[in-house]
Amino acid sequence: MATADPALAASPPASPTPPAWDRYKLLTWLGSPLALIPLLALLAVALAIVSSGDLTLLLRGDFWSLTFNWNPLYPDQAAWAFPLYLLGTAITAGLALLFATLLSLALAISLTAYLPGWLGRSLATLTNLLAGIPSVVYGIWGYVVLAPYFGLTLQPTLRSYLAWLPFFGGPAAAAAPGTGVLLAVLILTVMIVPLTTAIIRDSLANVPSAVLEASLALGATQWETMRRVRLRVARRGVMGAVFLGFGRAVGESVAVAMVVGGQTQIPPSIYSGTTTVSAFLLYQQDSAFQYAALLHALVDFALVLLLITLFFNFLAQRATGERGAVGQTSAAGL
Amino acid sequence: MGLVAAIAIAVVLLLVGLGGGYALGNYLGSRSSNSSSTSGSTSYTISETGSSLIYPLMQLWGPNFTKLYPNVQVSPQSTGSGTGISSAESGTVDIGGTDAYLLPSTAANYSLINVPVAISSQLVYYNLPGISAHINLNGTVLAMIYSGKITNWNDPMIQAANPSVSLPNLAIVPIHRQDGSGDTFMFTSMCYMSWSGWTYGYGTSVTWLSSSPSASGNAGMVTTLSHTTGGIAYIGISYESEAASSGLTYAALGTQAANLNGTNPANYALPTTANISADASLGLANLAPGSVAVSLILGGVPGATNLQLGKGGTMPAAGTTPYPDTNLEYTLIKTNPSDASKQKWVVAFLEWALAYGNSATYMNQVHFLPLTPAVVGYDMQALQAVTVSA
Repeated sequence: MATADPALAASPPASPTPPAWDRYKLLTWLGSPLALIPLLALLAVALAIVSSGDLTLLLRGDFWSLTFNWNPLYPDQAAWAFPLYLLGTAITAGLALLFATLLSLALAISLTAYLPGWLGRSLATLTNLLAGIPSVVYGIWGYVVLAPYFGLTLQPTLRSYLAWLPFFGGPAAAAAPGTGVLLAVLILTVMIVPLTTAIIRDSLANVPSAVLEASLALGATQWETMRRVRLRVARRGVMGAVFLGFGRAVGESVAVAMVVGGQTQIPPSIYSGTTTVSAFLLYQQDSAFQYAALLHALVDFALVLLLITLFFNFLAQRATGERGAVGQTSAAGL
Repeated sequence: MGLVAAIAIAVVLLLVGLGGGYALGNYLGSRSSNSSSTSGSTSYTISETGSSLIYPLMQLWGPNFTKLYPNVQVSPQSTGSGTGISSAESGTVDIGGTDAYLLPSTAANYSLINVPVAISSQLVYYNLPGISAHINLNGTVLAMIYSGKITNWNDPMIQAANPSVSLPNLAIVPIHRQDGSGDTFMFTSMCYMSWSGWTYGYGTSVTWLSSSPSASGNAGMVTTLSHTTGGIAYIGISYESEAASSGLTYAALGTQAANLNGTNPANYALPTTANISADASLGLANLAPGSVAVSLILGGVPGATNLQLGKGGTMPAAGTTPYPDTNLEYTLIKTNPSDASKQKWVVAFLEWALAYGNSATYMNQVHFLPLTPAVVGYDMQALQAVTVSA
């Protein structure tokens, strides 16, 4: 369609009689209200949270207590242990992000610089396919297939060899459900690798070839060029990938909730269960309809989670948005 | 730009289409209900949401009711008892399904009535390699296990109730539900009534020992327990075949008599049809007429809707063994509905369910038991209070 050409949009055809109505103006006119929808949705969510939650709870000690106590018969004595949920979220999301970043860097570097084109492209497609798998599928895989293996084989083996390392020993319980920090980190890592890889790969690919050729011409090796030039130029994209990956890991609920164990405790070892803010939201929402105090706490949990993910998305925008569009296109595309 | 324009056009068309379709639907809807109010063949869709236990029963009942009354469809949803209660309170559904009754005072505030539709029960499973017998456990022992007071399978308190079983020296791993659940409501009710040292209260979500593992849903309980040597878990009776195929065994549970004398094996009951019915008749005896809201745990406490800590339920007659972990499944409906002509069909559906759906033919398929005639009588009476249009 020739009329949809961008060049035409930029400079309308110089016809002696201008058309009665400009279709682009009409589209803009119709389209701009639609552009407000995301803002309105965010406002509606924030409004719902503020109106149905109890914001004063956020300032009270029972929200920030270190032990969880919820007895439906004594709702006024409830203590929500939010720091424990936050810590569980930080541990699982943080460790997953660490592994995912390392893996993605390795993957993105080999895809852009070392592997032959056809192999790089098909591997990239496969990685992107991973991103399309619904999170509940990862959860079921972890819960049904991996959990028994972790509990009965992998964890006892790790414990017997690595018990001298902190967090690798832990109580030698007869119980071996297999769910816990280790499994949750593995599942989360697999889930965010496609996202971080795609962004890092794009930012590496967007580094101008003139810069790379200059580096090679100065006698730098392929690896030195990658490390000192390409990664340095693309570092904002890498930072953006990290922040977006963290936001995704923090907000992920279903898959993590299924494999994290659910214990409201500081995990004494990597085999122990813990819990996350989003697991609390997922599993307590039905009960919250019966108990007003539980609903207030739930909504406040949701509010803090929303603020955290917004904050990390904001950081990702800052990292990729400033000074050029390195990696930005892919961040927006996902 | 071309793509953006195409998408924008598509979105606008979609919105216009939705709006237009809605307006058209409204118009046709008002036409059809106008024309049919004279002929009397208006179509109705009765919405139900709530307890995942009741859902399969509604799925069985709905189509069979529609066979008799083709103008009425029943549309059930499996969401959760809490959702069932809150949706019934707000009036967004016609029927709310719940495993726990709504306290009569709360129900009155929202003009709702409790209409029990079936009897369900819960089993306590354990994973003890080499032990295929049904070991005896009572409410006091279970409460102490879940409180961390009894931590080993060869504890004298468990061994004393099981003289013929050699219990292993193995740590007990109490597994609980991570999600809010009517099963947790039943199990914590039994612990609360049985042992005065129980500090967790009772409800669909409570605090548990911080180190005890959890699972989501009855299916998750079966899976986690089958991986956990020494584990113990409470699982709804609908999952009996799944648990059996995972090699799990369930316990004989102590009646109220076992809370007083736990060493007498005659005070323990297996979840047989006769034992579950016996418990239901015990809890439903001497009820005041009208909307039934009662706990059947440990034979229940007639007339009481707030359980008493450590005070137990009703003592069974000598020689009977009522199964203590038994519960009524409730539906909640409005007595002053916004649409009285639709409510006529909601009441008709429940009346049909109580009169014809309350048979072993339906109940066996979902592992429930039919209500006793007394409860059906109370239900029918309660339904008379509902405002319907003639």
